[in-house]
Amino acid sequence: MIQLESIHKTFPSGRGFVNALKDVSFVVEKGSATAVVGKSGSGKSTLLNCIGGLERPDKGSIACFGRDILALSAKALSTFQRQSVGFIFQHGNLLSYLTVSENIAFPLTLNGIAGNPKTERVKMLLERIGLSAAAKALPHELSGGEIQRVSAARSLAHSPRMLLADEPTASLDTDTGKNLVDLMFEIGREQGCTMIISTHDPEIWGLADKTIYLRDGEKLQEEP
Amino acid sequence: MAFNYFTFWIRTAALFLFRSGRSTLALSLMVMVAVATLIFLSALAMGVNDTMILNSVGLYGGHISGIALPSAIQPQRLQVNGTTAILKRTVFPGALACGNRNQRVNLIGVDPFAEKKYTAIWKKTIDGRYLRNNENAVFLSQTLAEGLAVKVGSMLRFSSEISDTPVELVVSGIYQTGIDFFDRGLAFCPHTAIPHHTDTWLAAVFVQEGYDPDTIIAEYRSTLPAGLEFKSWKELMPDLVQLIELNYLSMSIVMVLVFGVVSVGIACAFVIFILKNMREYGIMKAMGVTSPEMTLLILGEVVLMNLLACGIGILAGVLAVYLAGQSGIDLSGFTSHNRYFVVSGVIFPRLTPYSLVIPPALAIFFSMLSAVWPTVLVARKKAADILRIV
Repeated sequence: MIQLESIHKTFPSGRGFVNALKDVSFVVEKGSATAVVGKSGSGKSTLLNCIGGLERPDKGSIACFGRDILALSAKALSTFQRQSVGFIFQHGNLLSYLTVSENIAFPLTLNGIAGNPKTERVKMLLERIGLSAAAKALPHELSGGEIQRVSAARSLAHSPRMLLADEPTASLDTDTGKNLVDLMFEIGREQGCTMIISTHDPEIWGLADKTIYLRDGEKLQEEP
Repeated sequence: MAFNYFTFWIRTAALFLFRSGRSTLALSLMVMVAVATLIFLSALAMGVNDTMILNSVGLYGGHISGIALPSAIQPQRLQVNGTTAILKRTVFPGALACGNRNQRVNLIGVDPFAEKKYTAIWKKTIDGRYLRNNENAVFLSQTLAEGLAVKVGSMLRFSSEISDTPVELVVSGIYQTGIDFFDRGLAFCPHTAIPHHTDTWLAAVFVQEGYDPDTIIAEYRSTLPAGLEFKSWKELMPDLVQLIELNYLSMSIVMVLVFGVVSVGIACAFVIFILKNMREYGIMKAMGVTSPEMTLLILGEVVLMNLLACGIGILAGVLAVYLAGQSGIDLSGFTSHNRYFVVSGVIFPRLTPYSLVIPPALAIFFSMLSAVWPTVLVARKKAADILRIV
C-alpha cells in the first residue's frame, strides 16, 4: 500500500513561490492501478516525483509498502528506488549511449542480476515489446512508440513493486499510445506491480482501478 | 562497492565515450596534442642538454680530468668499467718564437691519433691540418699565430721552462674555438716532439653514456693511491651544470604553464561534455544510481578518455622525437657564438622516463581537476531538478 498524507510542495519562481501540491492525501492499494488526471501544471509530475523519492515534499508523509520514504537516508532511498520503483517518463528518457538491450538490462545490473538470468529476462522483455530485432539499436534509431515500449520494459525489468508513469502516452499517436498502455498494464499486472500513472489519456482512466483528479496542486476528486 | 559494480561502471563509461564519438575525439585531440607537444619539448630540452655536455666534454676535457698525476700512474690504471678512453697529456710551459717575435704558451703534448678519435678540437681547424703522430709539429690557435706572425708551414722554436734546449716545430694547423681558454696561450704537439721529461701528466677520461663520472671518480679514489686529484666536468663547469638545471626548471615551468592553459580549454570542454550528458545522469539518478556511482562513472569517463588520448599522444610524441632524431635539429645558426655549442649545434631530442611520464601525468591531473566541478554538480543535483531543466 502507498499512503500519502497531507503533501505540500512549493517551488521558488520569479514571481515568488508556486504551490505545486497543496494538502494532497490518498491511498493506493498494493497491486492496483491509479490514474492521476489533471491539466498541465496541476502537479501530476511533482506528485509522482514525490512518491518516487525524486522530490522531497515540504510537508506531509509518504509511506510506500510500510516504509516512510521521507525518513530514508540518501543511500537507503537509492536502494529503494533501484529495487522497488520503475519510472516511465513522458519522452522515454532512454540512456542514449546504451542500446535497447543495454537499457533494459541497466536496472537488472543495478540490482545485482547478472549472467544468464539477466540475459533471459532481457530477451523475454524484448519479445514482449516486439523489439527483439532492435536489441542492438541505439535510442536515436527508434520511433517514439518504440522508445516508450523500451522505456516500459526497462521500468518493469527488475520487477519493481511500484511503477510510476508520467504521461507515458503524451507524445504518441492514439494507436501507439493504446498499444503501450495495454503492454504496460499487461506486464505490470502480471508482476503484481502497483501502478500510478499521470495522464490526460482516457484510455488509461478506463483501465485504472482508481482515478485522482488534481487542479492547481489540489486533489479535487477521487474515483471510486 | 563490489568489484563487478566497478567494472560495470567503467564499462558504462567506456560505452558513453565510444558512442559519443565526435565529442570524445575533439576532447581527446586536445589532450593528445598537448601530451605529444610536451613529450617532444622535454625530449628537445634533454637533447639541448646532451649537446651542451657533449660539446663541452667532447671538445677537449673529457668527462673526468685527472690533474697533475704522477708519472708512476700509467693511463691504463684509469681504465675501469664505464670508461671509453684515457687520453694522456703533458704540459710544457714555455715560449714559442719566430724570428724576433715570441709568445708565452702552455704547449700540450698529446697523442694525435687518440685525440682525433675522442676529442673535437681538430674540427675547429681553420687553416692547415691537425697533428700526426711522431711529427715535430705544432697546432696552435689563431691568436697565437697572429701574435707570432706565422702561418701553416712556418717554423717555430719552443723554449721550455724545464730545459735549456729549444725544440723546432713546424706549424701543421691553426684553430679557433671562440673559447678564451683554448684561443689564448695554448698550443698542441705530439708527445714525441718534445724530448723533455715531466714528472706529472694530465688525464682526460671519457665515459660511456649512462655511466656517472662521479661513480668512476669514487672508484679511482678507492683503487688508486691517495692524494690524486680527479674532477668531473660538473666540478670544472659549474656554469654548465647551472645551465642544465635551469633548462630542466624552464621545461618544468613550461609544462605546468602549457597544461595550465590547456587545462582551461580542457576544463571548458569537459564541463560541456559532462553537462551534455546531464539528462543521462538525471535518468540514472531516478533509477537509484547513487552519487558515488555517478562520480565513478564521470571520473571513469575522464580517466578513460585521458588514457586513450595520452596513449596516442605518447605515440605521436615518440614518433616526432624519433623522426627529429634521425638527422637531428640543426640550430647552428642560433648557437655559433655559444661556447657550449662550439663543436656542433645539432640537437638530437632524447626521450627519458621523465619526458614520457610527466606530460601524461599532468594531463590526467589537470583533467581530473577540471572534472571536479561538473562531477560535484551532477552528484549534488536532484534527479527531478535535472530532468526538469534538461
